[in-house]
Amino acid sequence: MKVEEERMKNERETEGVFEPKIVGFLCYWCSYTAADLAGVSRMKYPPNLRVMRVMCSSRVDPVFIIKALLDGADGVLVAGCHPGDCHYQKGNYYARRKIALTKRLLESLGLEPERVRLSWIAASEGPRFAEVAKEFTERIRQLGPNPAKGALFL
Amino acid sequence: MNVFVTKGEGRGNLVFRALLKGLMEKDVVKVALVCAEDPTGNSFVHVLTGDTSVVESSWPVPPVMPVQGARVVSKITRKGPVELPTAVVLRPCELRAMRELVKLNQVKLDGLLTISFDCPGVYPLQQYLSGDRSFMKASIDEAFGHFDLSGTRPLCQICHRFTGELADVEVGFLGAPDEGHYLIGHTRRGEEALKALGYQEEVDLERRVDAVQEVIKQRIEAREGYFKGEFGPKVVGVEALLTTLHVCINCHNCMRVCPICFCRECFFDSDALKVLPGNYLVRAERKGALRFLPDTLLFHLGRMNHMSTSCVSCGTCEDACPNDVPVSRLFAMVADKTQAIFDYEPGQDLDRPIPFIDYQDEELHDYEEPYIESTTHRPSSS
Ligand code: SF4
Ligand code: SF4
Ligand code: FES
Repeated sequence: MKVEEERMKNERETEGVFEPKIVGFLCYWCSYTAADLAGVSRMKYPPNLRVMRVMCSSRVDPVFIIKALLDGADGVLVAGCHPGDCHYQKGNYYARRKIALTKRLLESLGLEPERVRLSWIAASEGPRFAEVAKEFTERIRQLGPNPAKGALFL
Repeated sequence: MNVFVTKGEGRGNLVFRALLKGLMEKDVVKVALVCAEDPTGNSFVHVLTGDTSVVESSWPVPPVMPVQGARVVSKITRKGPVELPTAVVLRPCELRAMRELVKLNQVKLDGLLTISFDCPGVYPLQQYLSGDRSFMKASIDEAFGHFDLSGTRPLCQICHRFTGELADVEVGFLGAPDEGHYLIGHTRRGEEALKALGYQEEVDLERRVDAVQEVIKQRIEAREGYFKGEFGPKVVGVEALLTTLHVCINCHNCMRVCPICFCRECFFDSDALKVLPGNYLVRAERKGALRFLPDTLLFHLGRMNHMSTSCVSCGTCEDACPNDVPVSRLFAMVADKTQAIFDYEPGQDLDRPIPFIDYQDEELHDYEEPYIESTTHRPSSS
């Protein structure tokens, strides 16, 4: 049965072969291009990141992050242009406030703020993108599976 | 800010009735927005009235808070300022929420004379409706100037912003000698109103300042203790949080009565969360089973994200919850933390924008990644 299989897979994963699922919201103007660059330059980075392209880091409503975390993601990466470089001037400053608030909120409820990460990655920084993806995946691997994903009555 | 301090006699609701009546008779205001007991004697409602006899029998400070006053003021002034000068009596949390709504362009202050006071707290609404109402009415009236009223809502008991210092006219009971009260005009409008009533003598506030500070200190300690000790363990961690929220029926009452939830259409009622059946099935398969109605935890965490920086800890949401979810305590606990990162106090400073539409170039670096040195990047600005 499909449901049963899925559950067994989850259990297998908790028994050591845990592959984190990470959702990455990447800004079109910078980090998304960097991810592309990393790809075409054949830089190695873990395949755990599922990329969502957004037009600016400020487009990421914290609700998206929480929804991802409650619905099966083990980590969420939000990446945008460096402060001062946002295509829309101020977007990433607002994004930083939203992410800070999200992390503080998760922290205040004991919900592992480390599962959310904000990074600034410029379009030219392919290697840096690969580095961030690798580092974050490792971090989440150490943290283990997100406890919210197994909670049935969410 | 001008401050004019004088003193008056008496405590309890009669002080406010006399104040409002005086203001109307001296034509300082034409209209009052005030609470009155509804004819059945079961509860209280706000009334807008130009009739001094209605004011004489009003209950400016009722023992419960059925509708958050900020919502009422917003209802009246959303489309424009009041046309006649209007006095409005608000509890400190209502006043803060109202000022927060001024920033959001949902309340117009012009023409309003706000009056607030040392709030003794309110009883839980359900308890009032089913309990000994005359006892509760009498105890509220006697509670002014003391801060030991028992049986009030848990959030009221740990409220440390209980004074009316943000109003045009503050009625202060704490520290006032001879069972009297202080009248403090915090704005020019407030000062002029008091002078029009014939108050000329200025008194100093020394006794009050110390008394207020003392209660604030106790309350802050109690608040921290409660959130850390008694309440925290009930909501911190996935399991605890789910256990506390499991009785939530996702009715969204808490959002609808909240003075701060001002959006015309709530995201959580919108099409954004309406999906095809297949989507639910996928989620159910992934988890093993999916709870319905879905997205209950998302609703609460999402709402906290959207509005906790403006939450005034008024407790209205908890009064409205049909299932006794301690929702206002949950929100207030989180709000204390989220407001702290921006050093923001809702309703405090009208010139300070809400945190979501404001930023500093250099701030919050702790929330950025553990920084990896940039390899190629040079910031283009500066
Ligand atoms: S969330 Fe609850 S306590 Fe906070 S402002 Fe809204 S109604 Fe008041
Ligand atoms: S917390 Fe209470 S009022 Fe809010 S949605 Fe749940 S049941 Fe309704
Ligand atoms: S455009 Fe990239 S963060 Fe705003």
